[in-house]
Amino acid sequence: MAATRQRVHADDLADSIGLGSEELAMRKRFLEFDDDDVQRLEGMYGLTHEHVDAVIEAFYEHLLSFPETTSFFRDPRLLEHVKGRQKNYFIRLTQGDYDHDYVTDRLRLGSIHERIGLPVRSFLGMYAFYLRQIAALLVQEHPGDPEHAFQKFHSLTKLLFFDIGLGVDMYIHQRERTIAVQQDAIRELSTPVLTIRDRLLVLPIIGILDTSRAQQLTEELLRSIRESRAQVVILDVTGVPAVDSAVANHLLQTVEASRLMGAQVIVTGLSASVAQALVTLGVDLTKLNAVGDLQGGIEVANGIMRYQVVAIDDTIPEVVDAGPDPEAG
Amino acid sequence: MSRTPVDDVCVAIRSDADVVAARSLGRSLAEQHGFGTTDVTMIATAISELARNILKYAHEGEIVVETVERGSMSGVSVVARDDGPGIPDVGLALQDGFSTANSLGLGLPGTRRLMDEFEIVSAPGSGTVITAIKWRR
Ligand SMILES: Nc1ncnc2c1ncn2[C@@H]1O[C@H](COP(=O)(O)OP(=O)(O)OP(=O)(O)O)[C@@H](O)[C@H]1O
Ligand SMILES: [Mg+2]
Repeated sequence: MAATRQRVHADDLADSIGLGSEELAMRKRFLEFDDDDVQRLEGMYGLTHEHVDAVIEAFYEHLLSFPETTSFFRDPRLLEHVKGRQKNYFIRLTQGDYDHDYVTDRLRLGSIHERIGLPVRSFLGMYAFYLRQIAALLVQEHPGDPEHAFQKFHSLTKLLFFDIGLGVDMYIHQRERTIAVQQDAIRELSTPVLTIRDRLLVLPIIGILDTSRAQQLTEELLRSIRESRAQVVILDVTGVPAVDSAVANHLLQTVEASRLMGAQVIVTGLSASVAQALVTLGVDLTKLNAVGDLQGGIEVANGIMRYQVVAIDDTIPEVVDAGPDPEAG
Repeated sequence: MSRTPVDDVCVAIRSDADVVAARSLGRSLAEQHGFGTTDVTMIATAISELARNILKYAHEGEIVVETVERGSMSGVSVVARDDGPGIPDVGLALQDGFSTANSLGLGLPGTRRLMDEFEIVSAPGSGTVITAIKWRR
C-alpha cells in the first residue's frame, strides 16, 4: 500500500474535510459573523493595502527572532515565497467574499504550515501578531473615535477566529490522515505463521483482533495448516491489547475451524488475570486449550505430538569423525 | 514508564481504537485507585464489553469511568451511555448466551459478574445507560 500522503486536490479540500457550505454557514453564525462585518472588513481594504509590507516584514522579523522558528526558513528563497503568500493572505482579509474559495485558500495555508512542521503555537502566534498590529493601525486611523476603531477590530477578530478554526482543522485532519495510514500499515502487516518444526505452527498475534482481522488471520492459518498438514497450532495472544468476549469468540471460531482441518489449537499468552476475567465473563477456556505462555504451549504440543526434549548428555562423547559413511559405499 | 494521573475518564466511542483507549485509560484509573491486578483486569474487561456493545448496537456513545465513594467504601464506576436503539427486553439481554448478533451473548451477563453493582436503564428508541461499579476490597 502507498504509505505516502495523498495530495488533496485543492478544489475539493473543503468538502474533503467535511466543510460543506452548511457547516461553514454554521461556523459564521456561531462567531456572529454577518454582513455588517463583511462591510466593515471591506472598508479596511485601504488600510491593509497600505500597510501590508510593513506588517509582514515586522511579523517575520519577530518570528525569526525566535531560534525555534529560524530553522524553518533557512532558505532565503523559501522565506521570500512565504512572505509573498502572507501578504496575499493579509490583504485577502479585507477583500470580502468569505466563501468557498476563501476557505480553500485558508485550508491550503494551514496544510502548508502543518507540512513544514510549524508548531500550532507559532501558527496561533501569527494571528495574535496581526491583531496587535491592526489594532494599533486602527487606533491611528480613527483618532478620537475609539468606538469606530473597535467595531472594525471586532469584525476582524471574528474573521481571524474563523481562519484559525480552519487552520487548526487542517492540522488535525492531516495528523488524522497520517495516523489512519499508519494504522492501515500496521493492520496489513500480515501475521506470520511460523513453522517451529514439522507439523507444528506458531501464530503470534500482535494488535487489535477485530472481526475483519480475525477472518483474515483464520484464512491465513487454515491455508498454512493445509499446506504443512499441521497437527498442532499455537496461537499466541501476548500481543493482543484487549482480550474480551469478542476476542474470545474470534479465537473460539479459529480453534473450531482449525479442528475441522485436523489441527489442534493451543492458545497461549493469556495472563492469569485475563484468563480469570474471561472465565468470570463465562467463556469456556477449556475449548481454547489455554496454556499460560508460549513455552508451556510448546511443551503441551510436544506431549500431543509425542516428542520428548532431552538435554545432550556431556558424558557421552560426541562422535567427531564417524569415518567413511557406510551408506556412501 | 511514568503515567500522568487520571482523575476521570470520558471517552467518545466511535471506533475500535476508542474501545482500546477507554479500556486502557480505565485500567490506569483503577490501578491508581489501588485495585489489584485481577480487579484491574476485570474492570478493563467490563469497559471493553460495554464499549464494544455501544459500537456494535448503537454505533456511537461514550464511556465514563470515575472513582466513587459510598460510606467507607471506595471504588470505580463505569458508565456506558448511548442514544442507540435501546434494549427491548433487559431481562433477556442479561441471560447468558442471548445475542441478537449471533455472538457469545456474554457481554452483559459477564460484565454483571465482573463488577459488584450493575444497572441497566434502557428502552426501545431511547438509548441505553449502563452503570457498573467495582468496590475495592
Ligand atoms: N448498548 C446497547 N444498545 C442496544 N442493544 C444492546 C446494547 N448492548 C447490548 N444490547 C443487546 O443485548 C444483547 C446482549 O448483549 P451482550 O453483550 O450480552 O451479548 P452480545 O454483544 O450479543 O455478544 P458478546 O458480547 O458476547 O460478543 C445484544 O445482542 C444486543 O441485542
Ligand atoms: Mg456484547
